[in-house]
Amino acid sequence: MNSPFRIIGKSFPRLDARGKVSGKAIYGTDFAMQGMLHGKLVHSPIASGEIISVDTSRAMAMPGVYEVVTAKDIPAQRYGSFVKDMEVFASGRVNFIGQPVAAVVARTAEEAEAAAKAVKVEYREQAAVFTTEDAVKADAPLVHPDWQEYKAVPTVKRQGNITNQARLVLGDVDKALKESYRVFTHRFVTNVVHPGYTEPRAAIAHWADGSQLHVWSNTQLPFEAQATLAEIFKITPSQVRVNVTVIGGGFGGKLRLGVEHYAAAAALKAGRPVKFVSSCEEEMTSALPRQPLTIDLTTGVTKDGKILAKAASILVDTGATSGSGVGVASSVMLMLAGPYKIPNLRLESRSVYTNKTPTGSFRAPAGPQGNFAVESQMDIIADALGIDPLEFRLRNIVREGDLAPNGQKLESVSLEECLLKAADAIGWKDRRPEPGRGKGIACAWWTTTSGSSGVYVKVGPDGQVFLNTGCAEIGTAALTGAAQVLAEALGIELGSIQIVSGDTASTPFDFGAQGSRTAFAVGNACIDAVGKLHQRMKEIAAKQFSAKAEEIEIDGGAAKFGDKLLPLKEIAAIAQTSQGGLIAHGTFIAPPTLHDKERTENMVITAINSPSFHAHAVDLSVDAETGEVKIHDYVVVQDVGRAINPTYIEGQIEGGVVQGIGQALSEEIVYENGIVRNAGLTDYKMPTAMDAPNIRSFIVESPSKVGPYGAKGVGEPPVIHPPATIANAIASAVSARVQTLPITAEKIVRTLTEVSETAK
Amino acid sequence: MTEVQLDLTVNGRRHRLSVPAHYSLLDVLRDELELTGTKTNCLEAECGVCTVVLDGKSVASCAVLAAQCQGREVTTVEGLAEGAALHPLQEAFVEFGAVQCGYCIPGMIMTAKAFLDENPRPTREAVREAIAGTLCRCTGYQKIVDAIMAASQRLSQQGERA
Repeated sequence: MNSPFRIIGKSFPRLDARGKVSGKAIYGTDFAMQGMLHGKLVHSPIASGEIISVDTSRAMAMPGVYEVVTAKDIPAQRYGSFVKDMEVFASGRVNFIGQPVAAVVARTAEEAEAAAKAVKVEYREQAAVFTTEDAVKADAPLVHPDWQEYKAVPTVKRQGNITNQARLVLGDVDKALKESYRVFTHRFVTNVVHPGYTEPRAAIAHWADGSQLHVWSNTQLPFEAQATLAEIFKITPSQVRVNVTVIGGGFGGKLRLGVEHYAAAAALKAGRPVKFVSSCEEEMTSALPRQPLTIDLTTGVTKDGKILAKAASILVDTGATSGSGVGVASSVMLMLAGPYKIPNLRLESRSVYTNKTPTGSFRAPAGPQGNFAVESQMDIIADALGIDPLEFRLRNIVREGDLAPNGQKLESVSLEECLLKAADAIGWKDRRPEPGRGKGIACAWWTTTSGSSGVYVKVGPDGQVFLNTGCAEIGTAALTGAAQVLAEALGIELGSIQIVSGDTASTPFDFGAQGSRTAFAVGNACIDAVGKLHQRMKEIAAKQFSAKAEEIEIDGGAAKFGDKLLPLKEIAAIAQTSQGGLIAHGTFIAPPTLHDKERTENMVITAINSPSFHAHAVDLSVDAETGEVKIHDYVVVQDVGRAINPTYIEGQIEGGVVQGIGQALSEEIVYENGIVRNAGLTDYKMPTAMDAPNIRSFIVESPSKVGPYGAKGVGEPPVIHPPATIANAIASAVSARVQTLPITAEKIVRTLTEVSETAK
Repeated sequence: MTEVQLDLTVNGRRHRLSVPAHYSLLDVLRDELELTGTKTNCLEAECGVCTVVLDGKSVASCAVLAAQCQGREVTTVEGLAEGAALHPLQEAFVEFGAVQCGYCIPGMIMTAKAFLDENPRPTREAVREAIAGTLCRCTGYQKIVDAIMAASQRLSQQGERA
């Protein structure tokens, strides 16, 4: 089939590739300034307690030390996404091991680190709580005794350690469960996993004249960093300029402030630029890992495999601050209902404080947790009913025009196609090809996050086009994708485009590189800009040809009047000498996704925008003696709406799957009484090239009405399904159903032993 | 602080330095010579982003003492391209979509360089084994393996022509 596109759908190399392969790209860790000092943090060694005193005198006397910064040096100000429960340095009390209490500024990072050990902090230790089950008890110690004084968004319903209690309800669950042929109840527990970006969080801050803060960092969200820093230091956003360096991976772990606020506080006191880079230990103990969830899931079905009702009680462990966990507690319910038609729902979710590392928004924030529960249980039920798991899904999935669990009307629904293609590719008919070998399947839907985007598209007199965006490039090549949209719409070659990104002072606002939205939203803003550029081109050409603007046509990258052509670069040259250049401000905001408000209570995330649909399937073997899992084949079928750049879509799929395999099989931040027991990469096991299987990607294009050329979000979905897909295949291979993540070899062997002992 | 006198060659350029005795090769490259193409992360030789080629072998430069490099030759990612022309490995990484965030890529490329110098026509499995010491969180490794395989073919063909 001939493509109607010149640029869309072609696998061009990313525009920033050469700088990255030659070592010339300047990342956050590389960035340096004249006169720059280095900062290191002092961390709390206890999980809960009051700070009695901070003695900085010994540290101040250490070689190379300029300043020690504490909460006393900055405004008393709490901040946070839904509940303002965070502070830069602990002031009155600490509530997790690793919480920053002070920072030391010194000539070198080494000297700062040595002096940080010499800061003497005296604590009065208090009772702590480490599990959500304990934290919701009436007599549980409060992680934040002053929680009632914190500001919060009005949607949330708080009580003690609970930061929100939200519900998704439909129909009459009790009645439906009573009428069900069978009712299944299971508990699923997920793991704390680190985003695992290879570049630690880094920032350099400089106060230009004592009131203008300039920050360079590897943040995913320069405009949010700007707003949060302004809030913390009680200045206006325009007094803060954030420039994004090249970013060594984010995966959501660099959405919120990383070390920018420490650098800013330190630079304010030292009167010089200060750089902070997280150590590996800090990354593992005090970054923003994925929330672990405990999900009690009950499903009632008819004899012929129709789901009648789902009820769930969900506890989201957000750690010591609520962060985005409040959002996860909402969106996990949209995941748990699944892409299934269910007439009766009663899902109840609570986000809860514990005295552990604050958590954050790791790629597809509620996806893997919710999917692991719902898709594991789908297989358990199918087996119990004697129905093939694929067939059981096909009897219940949503189709075009159906209402989703939240009541939103679904369009461009490709789930059946995804499931059937995945099953076909993995050879589903032969589900258990030999003893110890089995296949698994899982499916999901996911959002293309909304939020506004602005771009300036500027054409130079040489025909070179600058795409100026407030969105950062976190590595996905999504900005190359947006540039492909621009090149296609403007009628130019991709090589004519240069990207300028992530400067709050000079680039237009963008909601940022998050939620699978970059190519979608920035791409749409580019299309809007092209419409405006075309109008300007017509006006300039009309003048040139003594014609009317409406008589001018746009042909490729040129204006055309009869047989006369005026190329873009000539128009830009004319514009440069006559009217300050050729530039357009393109904007985009996704239309709101309507849902049934009767169904949602206190949910801070209520809808799935421009949903994408996808299915994964795996073929693996399990060694029953050792519990070792060997993946033979892994298949992903993902609906991307329109494939803007197939190679980088495959890149998102392959990378996401391997990250998901890490969550499924090997990764976990292990806590013991609030202490991280594996705070380094020797003991925190991310998949290596030897662990990663070959992945076969199949791209489905079921266009979205909203996306540029029909594109939907791509980046997050691939990480959602691996835990459930692999759990299902393991159960299929050796009858070991593991309901907690990660599914380690030990757990498989233990489950097999239990199964065989029950059989005796 | 005890200093050591160091005479080493980096990317063909000879340097005579005096550095603190506990400095790693990574410290010398990034802090003394300001060659930041070699990346820093875990500092415990687990992530591999700091990999460079030392006398023909790939090493995690965070785990090599600078003093051990006396009189030796180091190649970093900055020393790979010849002028504006990328090395075939770099070209293949660009072409095959093997680069996402790119932070592991200098380490990956230097690992691959040393490996291909010793094993000009490897299997995919051998490539996976060779790069297992360098973590990549973006790509799932598949396109990195594709790129290294393609580069090995091109380098072998170049070698045959030469």
